[in-house]
Formats: sequence, structure tokens, C-alpha cells
Amino acid sequence: MVSESTETAAVRIENLRFAYGEKQVLHDVTMDIPARQVTAFIGPSGCGKSTLIRCINRINDRIPSARVTQGSILVHGIDIHRPDIHLQELRRRVGMVFQKYNPFAKSIYENVVYGLRIAGVKKKSDLDAAAENALRSAALWDEVKDRLHTSAFGLSGGQQQRLCIARVIATEPDIVLMDEPCAALDPLATLKIEELITSLKEKFTIVIVTHNMSQATRCSDRTAFMYLGNLVEYGPTMQIFEKPREKQTEAYITGSFG
Amino acid sequence: MFDPEKLIRKGRPKGHIKEVLIRSLLAGTTYLIVLIAVLLFTRIIVDGAPAILSPKFPFVDLEFLTAKNETLHVFDDAQGTRHQLAASAYSRYVAEHQGENLYNEQTFSYSGGGIAGPIVGTALLTIGSILLALFFGVSAAIYLAEYAKQSPFIHAVRLAILNLAGIPSIVFGLFGFSVFVLAVPVLTSDPSDRSLLVIPLMIGNYAISFQGWNSSLMAGCATLACMILPVIITASEESLRAVPQGFRDASLAMGGTRWQTIRKCVLPYSLPGILTSSLLAITRVAGETAPIMFTAAVAAKDDLPWEGLSNPFGILSSQVQALPYHIYTLAARIPSSEYTQRAQYGSVLVFLILVATLSIVSMVLRARIRRKLKW
Amino acid sequence: MPDDANRNVPKSHRFRKQGFSFERLIRYFFASNAGLTIVILVLIIVFLLKEGLGFFPGYRRELETYRIAGLEFVDISRKNLTAHEQLVSLLNRAYYAEINGRSYQQLRRSEEAAALFNAYTDQTGPTKELILNSTQEGQEAQPAMLAVLRENYEKQRAKALANLPATPHLSAKEREEIISALRTRTPQATDDPALVTRLAEELASTQARHAEPLQAFRATIDSFESASADLGSAIMEMTESVTSTKEALQNADILEKDRRTLLAAANNVDDPAEREKLLAEAKAALAEKPDTETPMASLMERKPDCIRLHEELAKSSAAILPQLPKSLAQGEADRLLRTAKKAWPVFLSDLSAAPAKISSWTHTTPVPLSAAVVSFLTGRDWITGGEWQDFYGILPLATGSLMIALVALTIAIPVGIGSAIYVNQFASPREQAIVKPVIEFIQAIPSVVLGFIGILVFGTVLRELSVMDSLQWVPGFPIEERLNIFTAGCLLALMSIPTIFSLAEDALNNVPSAYAEASEALGASGIQTTFRVIIPAAFSGILAAVLLGLGRVIGETMVVLLVAGNRIKIPDFSAGFGVFFQPSHTLTGIIAQELGEVPLGSVHYRALFVVGILLFVVVLGINATAHRFVNRATK
Repeated sequence: MVSESTETAAVRIENLRFAYGEKQVLHDVTMDIPARQVTAFIGPSGCGKSTLIRCINRINDRIPSARVTQGSILVHGIDIHRPDIHLQELRRRVGMVFQKYNPFAKSIYENVVYGLRIAGVKKKSDLDAAAENALRSAALWDEVKDRLHTSAFGLSGGQQQRLCIARVIATEPDIVLMDEPCAALDPLATLKIEELITSLKEKFTIVIVTHNMSQATRCSDRTAFMYLGNLVEYGPTMQIFEKPREKQTEAYITGSFG
Repeated sequence: MFDPEKLIRKGRPKGHIKEVLIRSLLAGTTYLIVLIAVLLFTRIIVDGAPAILSPKFPFVDLEFLTAKNETLHVFDDAQGTRHQLAASAYSRYVAEHQGENLYNEQTFSYSGGGIAGPIVGTALLTIGSILLALFFGVSAAIYLAEYAKQSPFIHAVRLAILNLAGIPSIVFGLFGFSVFVLAVPVLTSDPSDRSLLVIPLMIGNYAISFQGWNSSLMAGCATLACMILPVIITASEESLRAVPQGFRDASLAMGGTRWQTIRKCVLPYSLPGILTSSLLAITRVAGETAPIMFTAAVAAKDDLPWEGLSNPFGILSSQVQALPYHIYTLAARIPSSEYTQRAQYGSVLVFLILVATLSIVSMVLRARIRRKLKW
Repeated sequence: MPDDANRNVPKSHRFRKQGFSFERLIRYFFASNAGLTIVILVLIIVFLLKEGLGFFPGYRRELETYRIAGLEFVDISRKNLTAHEQLVSLLNRAYYAEINGRSYQQLRRSEEAAALFNAYTDQTGPTKELILNSTQEGQEAQPAMLAVLRENYEKQRAKALANLPATPHLSAKEREEIISALRTRTPQATDDPALVTRLAEELASTQARHAEPLQAFRATIDSFESASADLGSAIMEMTESVTSTKEALQNADILEKDRRTLLAAANNVDDPAEREKLLAEAKAALAEKPDTETPMASLMERKPDCIRLHEELAKSSAAILPQLPKSLAQGEADRLLRTAKKAWPVFLSDLSAAPAKISSWTHTTPVPLSAAVVSFLTGRDWITGGEWQDFYGILPLATGSLMIALVALTIAIPVGIGSAIYVNQFASPREQAIVKPVIEFIQAIPSVVLGFIGILVFGTVLRELSVMDSLQWVPGFPIEERLNIFTAGCLLALMSIPTIFSLAEDALNNVPSAYAEASEALGASGIQTTFRVIIPAAFSGILAAVLLGLGRVIGETMVVLLVAGNRIKIPDFSAGFGVFFQPSHTLTGIIAQELGEVPLGSVHYRALFVVGILLFVVVLGINATAHRFVNRATK
């Protein structure tokens, strides 16, 4: 049964330690990520923020040497490392958008309905409805509705990234992880994605990793600052940027290092 | 809103059995290959080992490796004892036991003695063709990797390499036969009737005659060299390109010429790679039969290539026995019986050991180079 | 570089190149080596064409002789005679298959008993001869030697008894009976062991019993067989006359060639006396044109006779068809009977078309060059070195090559791609470290070694499998030849698996890992990711792998030369899937087999080069298509 206390936290991370082979990359990270909010992770390159969010849907399992050495992650109260976890279901519930937009070499339509197809949805009308819905939510529908069955590679970079977001939300996940979704995009496309994020938080819990501090201020509710694998500071975005408690945080956001 | 309980697997998820089935099917095909390979080798080793092993030190039947290839005579003497003697030993036996009757005499071509001739022939063919191919191939690769810019010429060269690599070996046999055996120019005082063109020289009564080298070691080497040229070029170019651009830039920036740069800063680092991949080419050359059938190989030969020659270069224009061709002859031209098994399985085993050693060495070297040379 | 800018730089300035450039020389040296590849490719094409193109005029000339001498005329009738013979043989095979099928148990029992006995005599035979010799001629036989011989005999007996073949159709008691007979058998014994004889008699009587109800069928076959006797003898007579005409024509061709050589030589000689002599010789060599008209006229006189014989044969054959049994009980026999019946209407229509062909045939119709090309590309016969007429039709060779490739790829594609998928997607690093070197090692096995394995191991195993009772449902079993299309196909599969494997694995490897990551992040399982994302993305690469595998299979020589059975004949497709167990010849094999034995420059020699050109074009076409796919994949 799900306990009362975890009801508000979509993800609870407890004493998480994580290593690639011998190299420890996360040290005792503990935090709660609230539901229906945007949580941003900031920090210099290699601080472990991407690794941390890649732990939440266990996509790090793909890397042979990667392993959680201690601690746990609870998604809605369920420990995702318990042996009887339904990994595919977890990943369907916890969607992910990657740094480099990565649509499949398929048509736009097939990209969007991919998640549904592998979940076993076969009815054409269901797929069509879901595809339209997802593309509308991703603010892409008007741009692609006439060429749904052309290759996804014909789209611009920003469009491709929004397609990837549409692909994720088509499966109606609960949590959407975004690993620097704008890193490969130009400012205009970045703006669109940011608008999208703001509109999506009505329905989804969003976790975003970003290098861009102004992006964090623009679209996140809470911000976590990480440094060398430690969670240095975590709190409401306004507080982190205006009144950071830690010296390191302050140094980072004022641009003294990083 | 979703129910977190769904994250917990209840029993086997849908389609699990299908997944396991597909995975095991794929694994099955993979291990099928491994199994077949193991079975093949075991069979050859089991059948061939008696031919090349001996109970005494050094535990290898040296005679099989060092004796010339001869016809095998099998007969019973008057006591009913069965003898198996190679042709030379047989004539000695007959001379010693004059007047005795021999019974149930049978002869088996190519099955007596050892396989020194084929081994030597294959070694000569391999060395000759690899040297030729390395010389021309590495030079071509240097041009492609170091000098070439986009041009119609380079495009044509790359197309030619691609096409050469795909030509069936028997077509190389036809090519070698019509070009090296029948058409390349030779210096001679006595042009043959079928010469394509004779250019008389002013010196003596010598002429350059386009009449080919006949079936000979050098025709075979040339044919094989043409065949592996694309392999060597591709491998060498890859090794050259693996040398970081920075090495070249640094050398050029210090005033080195192109050639100095290549010689001092590129070749030394790519040489191990080139040599390793040429080992692989050696296994291929050593195993080819079709290209040498008409250009160099002969089924039976009494002398080793260098025996009975008036000048040392005569070796180049003599025909040779070759291990793969010998195996072909043993497999195709003589019936299998208990007396021919030693020659048949023995030759195959020796050949396989040779090829296996080469390819294992090249695999190990490749792995070492990959580990060592990381820039 | 604009010259104006350099005008002010003095000639001896350091930045100017000084004199002879060693660097440039080196550059040209390397460039010329790169150009060597083009030279080789051009040489290959030029020399293949040079040797090959002369084939078509030469073959046309041969076909012309074939017509002028009247061989073609005889072949019209002979073709029907051969068809008749084939039908007779089909019926005979059906007849014996029926009898043997009905007496299957007895047949196998007798064969196995005989095999036991043969194993024994094979081993002890030579010593037995020696013992008989020494006891027979010398009354004063040397007892010491005889003792040695007897000892040898016993040794060989023991050896033979230890290595007896299996006898699944004999009871243990029967086997024991034969073995005990062999155990006590003396060298002087001449009779077969009692049980062997008894089983042979049993077989004979069973066969006779089963032949009884088939007597009518037997009689029908016999009467059908004798129906063509007259046509046969007429053809025999005509054959003699046309063969001598052909020889005369060929001799005239040879003389003409000599004359041309002499004339050419005369043109090169400066000394007038010498030249006169050569010219005179050439004149003397000028052959009289052989008389083809007279024998042709007498051949033409036979036309009505031939037509009559054809009509008679047609009439009697048409009468035979309804007399054949409706069906036969044994599967194989029935198949043969049905094949014969199916061929019957074709045979009859050929027979009825023959008179028109015979009467309209004339030796004056010219033979165009295209006839030689068509005959080469669509000819169903590759007959060389025969006394009658050489034909160079590549259909039997091409069919063989294609069918072997079909078998090879049917095996190699699923196995090669399946294992590539497994190794690339699912195997642990340790598994990869085992599988990859093994496959690389298979690739390194020389093809001649594979061929050897095919002959001595695989073919024998296949034959042993094919006589097992439990496998008789397989079409084509028991196989007649242990070297056949299937054996060759299996070995070529083994050869092409590494090619397909490594290229397909490369293609899978080249799929960006972001695809797999995205797919798994969407909740796909490993198998779903592999089959829905990775494989579609690698598809053109995998297709290229298959095509390159096909190119390798078609171009492979040694394995097919050793293992395909080398029968130059279009396989009998009426055998259903059994067709794959028939021997065959291939495009590559024919070159390897015949090039060493043909006279340089002969039509046959040139034909082999044309086959080479064909191979060259086909394989390069396949490879070029494959590389197009590779390029598409890497874009």
C-alpha cells in the first residue's frame, strides 16, 4: 500500500550512491521531487545531475558497469530496484527526453505511436487519437499534420525535439525526465520548448537537467544544485537563485566557476 | 492518475514467453555455428593426428613434413605381410628382393612420402605475392591516405579497389592465365609462335616477346598479388588514417616535407597495423586454389623448386606444388581408402594448423595493437 | 598562385622551389601505385574480352558446319528418339521402383546380409588368394609360410568381424547366424553363407511374386520400347554419312587456316625467293571445297522415310498411353509413372510437329551471329569434346549455381543474421569473446579444406542419414549421389555465414545507441527494441550483407568443384524438393575443371572465358548493389 507521506512526492531519492565501475559519481543523494511541478537540476558538467535523473527510469542499466551501490529510489512509493519491478511499465510511467533529439528512422506518426504500439495498442482509431493528442500537447500538430507519414528526419531540430516530447507524452506518463532538452537547439527553438514545459506541468511531473541557469529560473518551481556528485542545495527556485544558503551555490550562479 | 501498484510485476508479464523463445532461438543459431565449427575441427584433428604424430620424440612425424610427395605402393609379399611404400622405397625394395613375387599390388597417386613439396611451394607463393602486394599496396595506400584530394583519379582508384575486391577468385585465375601465363613480355632470343607481339632489340638477337611467363612461380605470385592488393590497400589505408592528424601537422609545421613527415611521423606508427592485417591477407593467399590452378600449381613434381636448376632465378619460372592444390588433388582425383587417409587428413590437418596459427597470431596482435596504440 | 605576386621574389629566394623536386617524384611514385589498381581492373576486363569475344564467331562457324553437314537435320529426329528413350527409362524405373518398393523389407535384408559378407571378403580376400595359391600349385607347400598366412587370415577375420556394418533390418539372431558362419569360414570355402543365399533367394522370389500382377505393364513397356527400332536404325545410317561430311568440312577449315598463316608469313619475308616458296606452299594448301551437296541430296531423299517413321512412332505411342496402369502403389514408382504420363503429350506433340520441321528444313538457311549468342545464353546442353557436336549452353551451369546459392542462402541468412542479432544485442561480453573469434576462424578456413570436409565427411554422413527408415519422408531420400546440390549448398552456407554475420553485425553496430536508449526509455523490452527499432534502422546494411554473401557464394569455386557432383545437366525438377539432392555443375566449377584441358584459342577455351565474363558481370552487379545499400545505410 502507498503510505500517506509519499503521496505528495512523485519521486523520493534516499541516500543514493551510484558508481560507474570503480568510479563513484553520486554520493548519498537524498531528496523528494514533488508531483505536478517542474524541478530543475543545475550544476557544472560532470557533477552527476544527468546520471541522477537517468537513475529514475533505470535507463542507466544499459551501461554494463553502472550500478547503484547504496540507497533507493521510490516512485510513488514503489522502490524501483525491487526484484519484481515491472521495468517496462516503470519506463512507460517515467518518460525521458534526451539531450540530443533522437527520433527513430520512421515516419512522424510512427514515432509518436511507438510507445503505444509496444504497449500492445492495436486499434487504429486509438492510435490516431493519441497521436493527435500528443502532437497537440507538444504544440507540433499544426506544423506536421499534413505530413504525418513522412520521415521524422525532415523536421527541424527544434521540431524533432518536440516530436520526441510528443512521443513521450503519447504514452501518458506520470513523470517526464528531460536531460538538457535544449542543449542542441538554437535560442528560438529553446524558447518554444520552454513554453511547452510550462504548459505540460499541468499534467506531468517534470524533472529537467539544464546548463542554462536562466532557463531554470524561467520554467522551474524547484531547483537542485549539484556539485561533484553531491546534492549541495535544493529548494524553491526563487530562494536558490536569490538567497542561496551555500557558498558553492552562490559562486556557481554568479558565474565565479563552472 | 496511475496506480503505483502497477509497477510491481504480477506473475509473468505479457509476452514474456515469446521473448524468451526468440532469445533462445537466436542464441541457438549462434551456438549452432560454434558447435559445427568445433565438430569440424575435432573430426579433422582426430582423423589427421595419427598421420602427423609419432609415438617417439619429437612426437611429430617429421618425415611427413619433410619428405617429398610420391606415389604410394601397397602390396603383399610372399609371406602375406602387407607393405606400404612410397615409390622410391618401393623400387629399392624390388631391387633388394629380386625374384620374389608380390601380390595384390595397388598404387595410390600422390599418397606416399610426405608433403615437403606442397609446403615449400605454398610458402614461396605466399611470400612472393605478399611482398609484391605489400610494396604496391602500401604505396597506393600512402597516396590515398596522405596525398590524395577529391579528384576523378582518386574516385576511379577507389572504384577499382572496390571492384577488384569483389571479383571471384576463379576470374582472377582466368586473368592470371591470360595475362601472366600467356601475354606478359619476356626477354628472349627465341620468341614463341603464339607471342602477341615481338619487339626485336638491337643487342644480340634478343627480343622482347609478349608471350607470358608460362605456368610458373612468378605468374602465380603476380596473380595472387593482384587478388589481395585491394585487401592490403584498404587495411593499410585504415592503419595510416588511424595515426592522429596532429602528428602530421606538427611535423609539417616544423618545416618537414610531406615525405619526411610520412617516413618519420606516420609510417612508424602505422606499420604494426599494416603488418598485422597483412597476416590476414597471408591466410587468404595461402588458402586460395582457383587462381593458382592454371598459373603456378602442378599436381606432381619430383624435385623441390630449387633442385635441378642451372641458375638461381630459374626458381621463379618453375612450377610448384601447393598445399591447397595438393589437397584438391587428394580429395578429387584419388579414391578415399585406408591407405590414402594419412595423406589426405594429414595434409588437411597441417594446412589447417598453419592457417589457424596465422589467424590466431593476427587476432592476438590486432587486440594488442588496439590496446597499446590509443591516442 | 598568381604570377604577378611572385614577380618580385628573386629566383633564389628561400621560399622558391629549387630545381629538381624529389618530393614531386615521390608523389608521382605513390600516385602511379594507386593507379595500378585501375590498370589491373582494366587489364582484367580487356583480357577477358580479348579471349572471350572470339567465342561467338567461332561458335557461329561451328553451328554453321552443324547445319551444312546435316547434323542438325539428324538431330531433329534424334531429339525425338532421345525423348522416347527417356520415357522408356522412366517407365522402367517406375516398374522396378514398384517391385523393389513392394519387396522393400526383403531388399534391405538381403542387402544388409550381403554387406556383412562383403565387409568380410574385402578384408580377408587378398590373404585368401595367397593361401589358395600356395596350397594349390605347390604340393610341397611350405608349412611355415602357410602358418604365417593363416595367422594373417585369422587376424584379418578378427578385424573384419570387429568392424561389421549395422544391420537394422536383420534380427539379432539372423545377424548372429551370418557372423558365426563367417567365424568358421575357411579360405577354401566358395559358397556364400547360407543365410545370405537364402535372403537373396527370398528377395528374388518376392520380386517375382510382385512382378506377377505387373506383367501387363511389363509388356506395355517392352512394346513401347521396340516401337522406335526403325527410327533408331534410320538415324544410325544418317549419322554415319553426316559425320563424314562434317569431318571433311573441318579438315578444309584447318587447311584454310594453315594457308592464311603461310600467306601472312610470306608477307613478312623480305627475301623474294623465300617468299615465292611460301606462296607456292600456300597455294598447294588451298583446299578444294569439300563436296557437301551430294551427301546432302541423298540425305534429303530420306525425308519422306523419316516422316513416315515419325508418324508410325506417334501412332504407336499414342496407343500405348491408355494401356499404362492408372497408378502404382509405391510413392516413388507412382511419381515416376506420373512424370512419364505428364511428359507424354509433350512427346506426342513433338512427334507430330517433327514431319513439318523435317520437310521444311534446308541446309542453306544462314546462321546469324545472334544464333550463337542465343544458343549460348539459352542452350540447355553443355556438351564438349564429343564426337557428334559441341554445344555451349550455360543453362545447366547457371541453374546449378543458382540452386546451390539458394540452398546456401536459405541456411546462411537466418543463421548469419540471427547470430549477428544475438551477439550484437543480447550476448554478454564473455559470449562475444567466444563467438566472434570462432566465426572469424571459420572465415579463415580455406575453401578447399571445406570442400575436402564435404567430400569425405559431410557427403558420407548425408548418405548414411538418407537410407535411415525414419527419414524416408524427406523428399529425395534415399539420395543417389552423396555429392549434390544440397551438400554443396550446406558447405557454402558455412562459408558465407561469417561474411553475412560480420557485415550484419557491423550494420547493427552502426545504429546509433540513442535509438535503443529512446526505445527503452519508452518502455520497450529488449526484443521489442531490437525488432522494432534496431533492425529496421540497420535494414539496408543487413540487406547489403546478404547480397555480399550471395556474391561470395556465386563466385566460390573450390567447394562446388569438389562437392557439387559435377554432372552437367539441368536437374530434374519433377522430383519436387528431391531436386536439391541431385548432382549439378556450376559456372565457376566448369572453368576450373576444363580450362586446364582445352587447347589454347579453341572455341571451347573461349567459351570458358565467356563464362568468366558472365561471372564477372553478375558478381560485380551484386556487389555494386550491395555497396549502394551500404552507402545508403551510412548516410
